[in-house]
This record gives sequence, structure tokens and C-alpha cells, in this order.
Amino acid sequence: MNRRSDIGKSSLKIPSDVKYVREVSSGILKWLEPWKLDDSALFDIRLCVEEVVRNAIKHGNNDDKSLKVLVNYWLEGARLIIEVEDEGKGFDLGKVPDPTIEENIMKGSGRGIYIVRRLMDEMEFNDKGNKVRLTKYLK
Amino acid sequence: MSVKTEVKNDLTVCCIEGEIDINTAPDIKKVFEKLTAKKTPKIVINLTKVTYVDSSGLATLVEILKNMRAYGGRMRLTNMSHKIKSLFEITKLEKLFEIIADETEAIATFV
Repeated sequence: MNRRSDIGKSSLKIPSDVKYVREVSSGILKWLEPWKLDDSALFDIRLCVEEVVRNAIKHGNNDDKSLKVLVNYWLEGARLIIEVEDEGKGFDLGKVPDPTIEENIMKGSGRGIYIVRRLMDEMEFNDKGNKVRLTKYLK
Repeated sequence: MSVKTEVKNDLTVCCIEGEIDINTAPDIKKVFEKLTAKKTPKIVINLTKVTYVDSSGLATLVEILKNMRAYGGRMRLTNMSHKIKSLFEITKLEKLFEIIADETEAIATFV
């Protein structure tokens, strides 16, 4: 895993292997330690980072270990911004079914992105659909 | 992650300790596959010591519930932290599961 820190911005680049997901979330939570966030905020950030990074590995890069996932994160005032970019063909958010409706509620997958949408203050994909930006307002 | 299982009359109480996520889901599934293979009629899952649940963890609990319903079994979840309960609310899984505040109550009222 490569780690690079600029002023106010940090980056992690990982191969497309789910074994690195925890390293990314741990790295971001450690970087946030000086801000002394409460457990609830840390839970949300960890969960959302792990869901989007896993999504980038599995659905973006199709578990192709030769492809990378790049994670950039920084603070803009009280806003934490996390960008996760894969090297895949892109993800169409519109095609993600609502996991809370009756026909999907018993399904084994499809809740990750829905949860991220609810726990983050903002979630935005680029036009190609291979880069997602999460924003969390820190209290 | 560990699962402690205790049989109390006609029901089985399972205390999960640790995280229920993509890494621990296979082991949790194995434990409950043994119980559902025996058609255990009532299972209470105590989540007091569960510190983290992700979407794979939720999916694992849904799968256990589905397996139990297939033979007419019932499952109750108890002692959820506020944070984990909020995940069930967000995903509307609170409608699917019987969620009881604590284990004692879940056992006493499980008829």
C-alpha cells in the first residue's frame, strides 16, 4: 500500500483485494484522531469507507488485482471529504435497486450503497461512475 | 469474533461477540447452519458484545432468518446497541426481525 500526504490531503492506493479494506478505514480513522470525533461518527465513517472501497474492488475493478483503488481524503473546514476511485468502467447508481422495498428486503446484497447514502451528508459519483465523493459534516 | 451457544428448554440463545462483517460472516454462517440444519425452532441472538456490523453482516442475519422461516422457525435479536439498531432502522430490517430490548424479556415472551 502506498501512502502519500500533502498539505491537508492524504492518499492511499491499494490493489483490488478486499484484505486491504480494513487498512484503508483504519488509516483514515487514525488520521482523524486529533479531531476527537465521537464513537458514532467514527462508526459511520468506518462503515461508509469500507462499503465504498469494497464496492470499488468488487464491482468497479471486478476483483482484478492488477487494478488499483485510490482513496483521497481531506478536511475542508468542518467537512470531511473522502474520494474513492477505481479503474473500472463505471457504476450506474440509478441501477441500484432500493433494498428496503418488499421485493428486495430479503435479498442478500444491495444494502451497502444505500447505507452510505443515509449515513453520509453527501454522496456524489463522477459522470463515468468510477469515482465517488463522500462528505461528512463533523460536529 | 465468537459465538457462544446455550440451549434453554425449547430455545437456543446465541451470544455473538465481536464484529459481524464481511470477514466474520462465513464463520457466523457455519454456526447457524448447524442450528438450522437441526431445525432449531427458536433462536435468540444476543448482540450485547457486537461492536460493528456492515452490510454483509446484515445480509448474514437476513440469510439466517430466511433459513429459519423455511422450516417455520423464529428468531429474535436482543441487546442491540443504539448504533446497530439505527442500521436496522435505516435499512427497514427492523420490520423484518423481531427486535427485543433484552435477552430476559425475549426469552420470557417467546411463545
